[in-house]
Amino acid sequence: MIDLLPHLLNGLTLGLLFALIALGFMLIVGLMEQINLAHGSLFALGAYFSFMLVAAHLPLPAEWVKAWTTIPLGWRYVTALVFAPLLTALVGMLLEFCVRRTYGKDPLYGLLLTFGAAMVIEELIRLVWGTRDYVLPVPQAISGGIILWDLIWSTYRFYAAAFAVSAIALVWLFIERTPYGAIIKAGAHDSEIVRALGINLTRLRMFVFAFGALLAAVAGIILAPIWGIRPHMGVDAVVPAFLIIVLGGVGSFWGAVSAGILIGMLVGLTGAYASEWSLLSMYVLLIVVVTFRARGLFGKKSLLEA
Amino acid sequence: MSALFEADRLQMRFGNRIVLEDITLRFGPGELCGIMGPNGAGKTTCFNVLTGRYRPSRGQVRLDGEDITGLRPHEIARKGVSRSFQIMNLFNDFTARDNIVTALPGLRRRGFDVSHAVAANSAFADQAEVLLERVGLAGKGGVLARSLSYGDRRALEIGVALAAAPRILFLDEPTSGLGSDGTARLAALIGSLKGQLTIVIIEHDMRFLFSLADRISVIHWGQVLAQGTPQMLRDNEWVRNSNLGKLQ
Amino acid sequence: MDKDSRDSSRLVTPAMLGFIVLLCTLPLWIGKVGLYPYLGIEILIWALYALSFNLLLGYSGLPSFGHGAYFGIGAYAFGLFQHNIVPSLWLCLMAALGAGLVAGAMVAAFISHRRGIYYAFMTIAFGQVFWVVAIKAHSITGGEDGLLRIARLPADFGFANIDLADNTALFYFVLAIFALALIGLWRLVNSPYGRILQAIRQNETRAAFIGHNVWLYKFTVFSLSAGLSALAGGLFAMAQTSAFPDVMSLHYSGYVVMMTLIGGGLVSFWGPVIGAALFLLARDIIGAVTTGWMLWFGLLFMAVVLFKPEGVAGWWQGLRQRTAGMSGNATGFARLRALLGGRA
Repeated sequence: MIDLLPHLLNGLTLGLLFALIALGFMLIVGLMEQINLAHGSLFALGAYFSFMLVAAHLPLPAEWVKAWTTIPLGWRYVTALVFAPLLTALVGMLLEFCVRRTYGKDPLYGLLLTFGAAMVIEELIRLVWGTRDYVLPVPQAISGGIILWDLIWSTYRFYAAAFAVSAIALVWLFIERTPYGAIIKAGAHDSEIVRALGINLTRLRMFVFAFGALLAAVAGIILAPIWGIRPHMGVDAVVPAFLIIVLGGVGSFWGAVSAGILIGMLVGLTGAYASEWSLLSMYVLLIVVVTFRARGLFGKKSLLEA
Repeated sequence: MSALFEADRLQMRFGNRIVLEDITLRFGPGELCGIMGPNGAGKTTCFNVLTGRYRPSRGQVRLDGEDITGLRPHEIARKGVSRSFQIMNLFNDFTARDNIVTALPGLRRRGFDVSHAVAANSAFADQAEVLLERVGLAGKGGVLARSLSYGDRRALEIGVALAAAPRILFLDEPTSGLGSDGTARLAALIGSLKGQLTIVIIEHDMRFLFSLADRISVIHWGQVLAQGTPQMLRDNEWVRNSNLGKLQ
Repeated sequence: MDKDSRDSSRLVTPAMLGFIVLLCTLPLWIGKVGLYPYLGIEILIWALYALSFNLLLGYSGLPSFGHGAYFGIGAYAFGLFQHNIVPSLWLCLMAALGAGLVAGAMVAAFISHRRGIYYAFMTIAFGQVFWVVAIKAHSITGGEDGLLRIARLPADFGFANIDLADNTALFYFVLAIFALALIGLWRLVNSPYGRILQAIRQNETRAAFIGHNVWLYKFTVFSLSAGLSALAGGLFAMAQTSAFPDVMSLHYSGYVVMMTLIGGGLVSFWGPVIGAALFLLARDIIGAVTTGWMLWFGLLFMAVVLFKPEGVAGWWQGLRQRTAGMSGNATGFARLRALLGGRA
């Protein structure tokens, strides 16, 4: 039994990170009623940007890069943790600028558009960084392992889980404690109400898109040392994210978190017993749940349902 | 007189909200019946239960004595129950003619006959022409449904419902959104159909309803509060006291 | 009767005949314009695939975003059947078609009561399931190494046995199947069946309340589309003499969506054919100049979605109408809007 614990921890970490990705995805669904299929690409961009900063692969003069490498790894990592998401948020804003034209139209529109954007971003990644895998170096303090109950536990997994929990808490605070959150929760497709509240909807939408991108990028940085950095990591992230949304129910914060953990655990546990098929388990779970419960586990009725 | 269509003690619950409490309705052959009631009284839900969109939580729906409770919408439609919708429901990318053709039972029966060419079937086109003329759209068969005027679209709604060759026709607020000219035109159209088949109309426009209907049922709080001829309802105290009865 | 309805009653339209005749001459000139006969085979196969996909997206309004699965299933079925059962071209193609029909029917049974984005999600989930199985079932499919040594079996007509190992011969064989499918699909979309599919796309509720069994139509059209996609997949396995899981991935499933939309599948029968040709030509021509051709094609796709969802065919129709002074063809905007449950 105890042998399973590391797998459970891995599953939990993965699940929390999936939930984080899904939450950013859901904020955008909630406010803009748009499925952002490029969310995974933003996740990948976050990982690549952080790699650029941490491993000092910068498009800057050689002396500068050299000076940068003299800074300790820990500081470079922290810098990456701040600036890579911000850079990704900028890309998110640019994307929102394109997606803007599809508001109020069929959500399928935005879906197709962001699918195209995902292709474009992934191709850009291939052009800039090539198709090879990279490993994100992490500071000594969070790498390595600890031995507990005769088992080796990866320190990084604990760090990743803790980080994901704090990020999720941040999202919760944003949704529950700010007026913007109230609007997102209400499902602010009724722009009249929003305007009546004196909120600039155009700015709010851009901000939320950027925030969603930021969350994706953070998840990308945290997952990068576990998954490795490669061009199609975006797809590996976006598919679980929308599975979580469907499973947890559109518009439910705790639905997304619990579905994220559920899927993470499931992937972790099947990974322990039948690693070949661990990916399959989440699709099967989704198909079973949605066949019997159209709105997912916690969902409210939404426009996505028909 | 035996009723063509009967609804017996229908109850409809969504979760723990009861929308229809206890509805019993009878519609005779050739009758034109009105259903009125305030917003949220359950009129449209009632139609949705009668035409198979929802399965009632309790009670029975019978057509010509046959139990049709819980059948799916297309099964009920095939037995000769047709309906229109409060919100416009047309095939917008089709021409008016194609809207009608799509609803013809002849086309439906050949639904899986993939060797048949719809455009070459002159019987379909002829039937469509007859129906278009009947609803006042003669000469507009080639216009896309989305390009028709609002009044014409309302008429086409009825044309599509009629094309399915119904024995009973449910119309959900057919005059909604129409001006007085449009309402008069629709009243004339429905008047011309009167007697040929059973028609049930949900309507807010009381003058419209009182001038056309043989019998009217008042639904409120998910129940039938009053039933009778327009004259009887004019005399009904509840109707008079509510703002529903203000006819002038 | 006007020209359009005359065409829609015909078995073969003049445009179709002209197109097929033009294709028959393709091996004579394709080398002279700097391309190669194999490209012709690829275009025909992808055009067949996109046509069957458009039966769902364009005609029925069903966004199937994991359709690569059925293309891949056809490819594997073709290979596995010839390796393990009997190496007969006709039976292998039947096996591909049949496998697609069965897989499609299985999935359709789960999803045919849905529409809109949920339909898209479910088709993606099922598509991924098939894709994962293809990768992981190494002993059957060869995993990521692919299923190799698939033979280009000879076409045995009884009186003659035609060898298809050569690209030109294979091109004519694929062209024959493509032409048959083209005619069949043309009849299908202009039959009552096709008419009802289009009605379901525009307004599912209305279609049900005039007596059409919407579920059954959605079920059959998905199965049929999956079957034809698998047939295309079988031809693809034969063309490249191998089958790989990548055609089942989300990316490849996306490519067929891109082709169909850019070509104008939302407003035209020919849209998917135009789109497939454009996609593969772009791959070869832009790809010869830059490795990042998908970047440019992706940008083009985004522009089409934003500014011209009717695609190339819609643009052409608009041009023809303007010159002929006609009006009133359905716009791609309206159709796209109608895709989500008929809220037009």
